[in-house]
Amino acid sequence: MENIDKKLREEAKRLLEEKKVGVLVGYETGTLPLTATPCFITNPEDAEKLVWNAFCTQNLAKFVHDLISQHRESQKRVKPEDRKKKIVGVVARGCTTRSIVLHLQERQYGRDEVVIIGVPCTGYVDGKRLSVLAGGDDIREGSLEGDQLLVKTTAGEKRIPLQDALAGNCLTCRFNNPVLSDLMIGAQAPPMKPEQEYTEIEAFENLPTAERWAYFTKEMNKCIRCYACRQACPSCYCNTCFVEQSQPQWVGLGEDATDTQVFQLMRLFHMVGRCVDCGSCVSVCPMGVDLRKFLKKIDKDVFELFENRAGSSLEDTPPLSIFKEHDKEDFIFNP
Amino acid sequence: MARRKFAALKRFLDYIGLEGDRTIFTWISASEGERFANVIKGVTAKVRALGPASKLVNKL
Ligand code: SF4
Ligand code: SF4
Repeated sequence: MENIDKKLREEAKRLLEEKKVGVLVGYETGTLPLTATPCFITNPEDAEKLVWNAFCTQNLAKFVHDLISQHRESQKRVKPEDRKKKIVGVVARGCTTRSIVLHLQERQYGRDEVVIIGVPCTGYVDGKRLSVLAGGDDIREGSLEGDQLLVKTTAGEKRIPLQDALAGNCLTCRFNNPVLSDLMIGAQAPPMKPEQEYTEIEAFENLPTAERWAYFTKEMNKCIRCYACRQACPSCYCNTCFVEQSQPQWVGLGEDATDTQVFQLMRLFHMVGRCVDCGSCVSVCPMGVDLRKFLKKIDKDVFELFENRAGSSLEDTPPLSIFKEHDKEDFIFNP
Repeated sequence: MARRKFAALKRFLDYIGLEGDRTIFTWISASEGERFANVIKGVTAKVRALGPASKLVNKL
């Protein structure tokens, strides 16, 4: 990891110095132990802050989109001949690059507006899982030694195998190496266990209807509608989200359980062919809602029905913008 | 494309625990009066068999 950090900083510094990028989005060490947080770097000297490790959770494609769209918005007030392009550099692992591919497919920005520094990924630590493993006590200090996490909590010291603390989506990730990059840092990461990616979903599919409904309502009852999941999701980039529209009002804003379920259903359904399973929504959710149980099902269906995996290749067309003559239609009602 | 969206929607609603028969999709042209009547009859029969909806209902 030391080496990767060093190389990353060098490349980032060079890109900024040569003005190949205007701003670089990466990760820096977080203020709490065993965390990393997104950072925005414009001064080449600050590239020293960059890190790439198992604590980098959020999908940075979100910020690439935000930065470019805000910049474009600001350029609207500038005379056409004086308009400038903003080039954003980004430290991107597999799922981040998939989100960028998705943005490019959806014509959100041009390939020339983003410089992708690809990094190999062996999974990130799920903060909620870690805190359970640490016994629920506050983590005072922590470090990663080899494949063990050394955690000092208020109650004492603990050794936790890194593997046990990794996020669920990382364990079965199919794209832990970038699918698109301008430069790569570090060697290809070894594969995770993609053959098991749908095991959990298949088990859930086989439950009786009533149990599935009970699980859905139980999970959605936890939701406090903070919209952190939406804010973190790179695929949620609408200027005005349907939940905030008032004409028409798609979903009620109160604390009615049905409204919450409908909000979730609609957001989930907007992820058809668009969720890259980065787990950013899950990791920011303050209530620990099991969003992945539903998102991964959508991913599974899209693959089974349309043979598409969101953002896996720049040549693909978004699955809901095309059709094939032989698409399944056994569900069509014919009395 | 509508067909694709419905294929995904129907599967998904079924997955979260809504009876699959509540989501019904078909094609009817404006000139197919008889077919329209038949479809509606079929839909009503299916929904009757399921009884009143209790899920995702907003009580005002
Ligand atoms: S829905 Fe969640 S897992 Fe899927 S792309 Fe958005 S943030 Fe990532
Ligand atoms: S982050 Fe969690 S609690 Fe907040 S709106 Fe999303 S699911 Fe609900």
